[in-house]
Amino acid sequence: MSLFSELRRRNVFKVALLYAVASWLLVWVVRRSVDGLGLSPWISDYMLLLLAVGFPVALIFAWTYEITPAGLQKAVAVDQTQSIVYKTGQKLNAAVAVLAVLGFAAVIGERLLPEFTPPPKETLEEFPIRPVFDFSARADVPKEIASFNLPNGLEVIVWPDHDIPNVALYYFVRAGGRNEYPGVTGIAHFFEHMMFNGTKSRDQGEFDSEMEAAGGANNASTSKDVTVYMDWFPRSALETVIELESDRLLNLAIDRGVVETERGAVYSERRQRIDDSNFGILFEQMFANAYVAHPYQNPVIGWPTDIENWTQQDLEDFFRTYYAPNNITMIFSGDVTPEEIYLLADQYFSPIPRQHPPPAITIVEPGQRGERRFVIEKDAQTPLLHVAFHGGAADDEDALQRSLLLSILGEGDSSRLHRALVEEEGLAVSVGVYDSAGFDPGLVYFYLTLPPGGDVAAAEARLLEELDRAATQGVDEAELEKARNLQLAAFWRELETIRGKASALGNYEVFNGDYETLFAVPEKLAETTPEALQSVAAAMFRRENMTVGILHAPAGDEAQ
Amino acid sequence: MKLRCLLLALLAVAGAATAQDIRLPDYERVVLDNGAVLLLAEKHDVPLIGMRATMRGGSVTDPADKAGLSHLLAAALQKGAGGRDAAAFAEAAASVGGFVDVAAALESTDLTAEFLSRDVELMIELVADLLMRPALAEDEFEKERERASALISAARDGSVGGLMPAYAGAFIFGDHAYGKAPRGSESTLAAIEHADLQHHYEAHFGGDRLILSVVGDFDLAAMKARLSEVFGAWEAASGELPTLEPAPRIEGRRVLLVDKPGAQQTYFWMGNVGVGIDYAQRADLRIANTLFGGRFTSMLMTALRVEAGLTYGARSAVAQHSTPGHVTIRSSAETAMTVEAIDMAIALLGKLHEDGADEEMVASARNYIMGQFPPTLETAASLATTFAWLELYGLGRDYIDTYGTALEAVTPETLAAAVGDVYPVSDNLLIVLVGDAEAIRDAVARYGPVTEMSITEPRFRPASE
Repeated sequence: MSLFSELRRRNVFKVALLYAVASWLLVWVVRRSVDGLGLSPWISDYMLLLLAVGFPVALIFAWTYEITPAGLQKAVAVDQTQSIVYKTGQKLNAAVAVLAVLGFAAVIGERLLPEFTPPPKETLEEFPIRPVFDFSARADVPKEIASFNLPNGLEVIVWPDHDIPNVALYYFVRAGGRNEYPGVTGIAHFFEHMMFNGTKSRDQGEFDSEMEAAGGANNASTSKDVTVYMDWFPRSALETVIELESDRLLNLAIDRGVVETERGAVYSERRQRIDDSNFGILFEQMFANAYVAHPYQNPVIGWPTDIENWTQQDLEDFFRTYYAPNNITMIFSGDVTPEEIYLLADQYFSPIPRQHPPPAITIVEPGQRGERRFVIEKDAQTPLLHVAFHGGAADDEDALQRSLLLSILGEGDSSRLHRALVEEEGLAVSVGVYDSAGFDPGLVYFYLTLPPGGDVAAAEARLLEELDRAATQGVDEAELEKARNLQLAAFWRELETIRGKASALGNYEVFNGDYETLFAVPEKLAETTPEALQSVAAAMFRRENMTVGILHAPAGDEAQ
Repeated sequence: MKLRCLLLALLAVAGAATAQDIRLPDYERVVLDNGAVLLLAEKHDVPLIGMRATMRGGSVTDPADKAGLSHLLAAALQKGAGGRDAAAFAEAAASVGGFVDVAAALESTDLTAEFLSRDVELMIELVADLLMRPALAEDEFEKERERASALISAARDGSVGGLMPAYAGAFIFGDHAYGKAPRGSESTLAAIEHADLQHHYEAHFGGDRLILSVVGDFDLAAMKARLSEVFGAWEAASGELPTLEPAPRIEGRRVLLVDKPGAQQTYFWMGNVGVGIDYAQRADLRIANTLFGGRFTSMLMTALRVEAGLTYGARSAVAQHSTPGHVTIRSSAETAMTVEAIDMAIALLGKLHEDGADEEMVASARNYIMGQFPPTLETAASLATTFAWLELYGLGRDYIDTYGTALEAVTPETLAAAVGDVYPVSDNLLIVLVGDAEAIRDAVARYGPVTEMSITEPRFRPASE
């Protein structure tokens, strides 16, 4: 008699099968219990170990012993003619069959039943809320602001304000002109357009038509540093808007036909803002001249040939890299509570997968090595003079001093430059000041419109005289106090509306790394000194740090 | 999942559709003995006070050959008043973080001021000086006139969007008071003398013309007493307000082509005379314009931008004043695509007349209007402006308080009637184009007789007119 047939006779195979089926069922039941009852997952692991150890034991037992009418006896001692192994085998078969049916039913049943979901985390205690702004000196500090992060890295800040039944949703994607390189300049801005052009389940136009039908409106803007999406809507549209936003972040379709149509709209925008505007032409050339290395040199709308040439692959790569939850900060302001925003954000935004962080922009614009100057000759009745200096980044220590200095120089009819150039000497009809500070150092930018036939050299000399005066003689306390008051009033004006609140929180969170720094502005303003402003002016207004751009009509072609 | 979203969306739509009227906050209206009207409301969420002083009059009171006079007066008022010269006046407001601005509109001259509430006394002093005791110094006037003229020339070199209202106003309204450019042109500004300014101020500024609306962080009783004291003795203006006849609607088509050599795009406005502020079906009109060209998913934007990629923007607007203003379609297109874009816009105007809107479109526009309405009344400054505007046109607070109910009553049938009342048919259009004439001159002749002028001409209507 072969070993095989003896193994079969002693039901060793059947015991093995029964043991396996029973073990599988047991492990299945224990694992479900662990999930459902919140038991330690170690229990099912231990169980598996014990069952594995028991398996050879059971087989040896089955080989050694045999069930007889008189009870358990050693197999070798049993009289083969009286053996009932056949009946035992039938019982074992039945047991295997019963267990298999039970197991099958359990697995199928589980699939059919609604999936078990753990109860939502509803209590505020579980929110990873940051310390709320808390200045003892001011009773009007908004203690109701809450923020949290989803596990995928999406950062959400909520500022409840129930004055009107409306909500402002702003989200900042850390992608702008700064993230572009030759060949794909303008792609961040183009992508802003594509975000409105359909998803895998919504056709082009449906995003807007659903939002508008629910009472909402939206817009978006792209800068050299970020792309900001804005929705303004009645409270009743809250979930509709969140679902729409989730859909385009999760399922954006980048349809080839739509891309071609959108190129046309963007080109039209470029012609309107730049090519048909003397100001736009000079502005674009200023950045191209003032920067030699940093991508701030490129126009946000893109160079014309790039608008014509970026590819489907460029667009898909861009979306995956930059439109990741870990690269976005989202702000809700208005008639909402942090609790409901947490639940909706968790439901709709958690499924968006985290991505590798975008490549860091490490390039630093080298210090300018000498004055630069360019002249554009073009049909013009009024000459334009633009003068720019490399300044600082938005979160520089002296950013506030810089902004106060520029306010003294160029904000309003009582500012130094307006008084000197427009009112007293009539060298310009308007003077503006602009600071393009972003994640990286921007340009402090003076733009003058001259009267027809105006004297560009005289205007430039007078402008530089004023800038030198600020650098060598500084500002007086009364001027600084005026600048502080203008900024304080602007601060309150911005916080008067829900859209202003959302915008301010987002800008401070994204550019200063912490929205709470917004509320330190009044106190920081009080700490500024005339000396600090003067040293900012002295460091900045150096000729070798200056680029001058002039646009005027060709000689002999001056208008009247 | 998708079904659930759909249900939620439907619920949201239904919820918005049954939203109640949006009520204006309560405000107190006081008429002083000299006829000045005070409109006052407290609002304490931020430490700011917003003020709007509306003087009845505006650029319709300018002599035709001196268009821009009210605009120049508005600028000159800010150049010194009371005991302060121009520099001291600007310094006084800015030093506390406040601002005062004055601008002339068609039928009013509007002062806007905003100050921190701690500076309320200074605000009242500056505004009172500016309105009642302006210096109107001759040297400041000369500078402002030169500067106003140069800024128009600069706009001709820049994006021309800001100039389209002046060209279109002149072309659509001709010699009617609404045809005068509120900011004037280089040629009309040059005709204005200092004596004109002084005379215009005396004729059109006075207590009887004043609507003074103040909202913000103050005590209402104290503010009422103070403003009554300060403005109650202001004498009446010496001139009369003009009585305007409605401008006639134009039959047929005409084209004004403004040549900007080298322009890469053609910018166009086209339209006709519409209806006045008293038009009864205001809710139908607002819904119609929202659907036609008043929001991103409008017929114009969808066809010209989203589907055809011809342009960055395409809109329609309805201007309503004491008598009918204009109804216009506004867009732009690459020079080579000018005709295609204009044809498309004209076809859509025809479609608006023929197809109107169905129930679903009406409901969508209604929700959109009501959903976007509360933020327009969110700040002290916006409330002050709204109160003053209602008073200027004699509309009363019901105009806002019953707006939601009026929108609810709109049906496709009533809307179709309003479209017929207000929008010109496509055969009756005045078309203004700014672009490269050499490239489009022949092509646009198909729209009607073409009058051509250069963008550098110092006016907004052809010299021959």
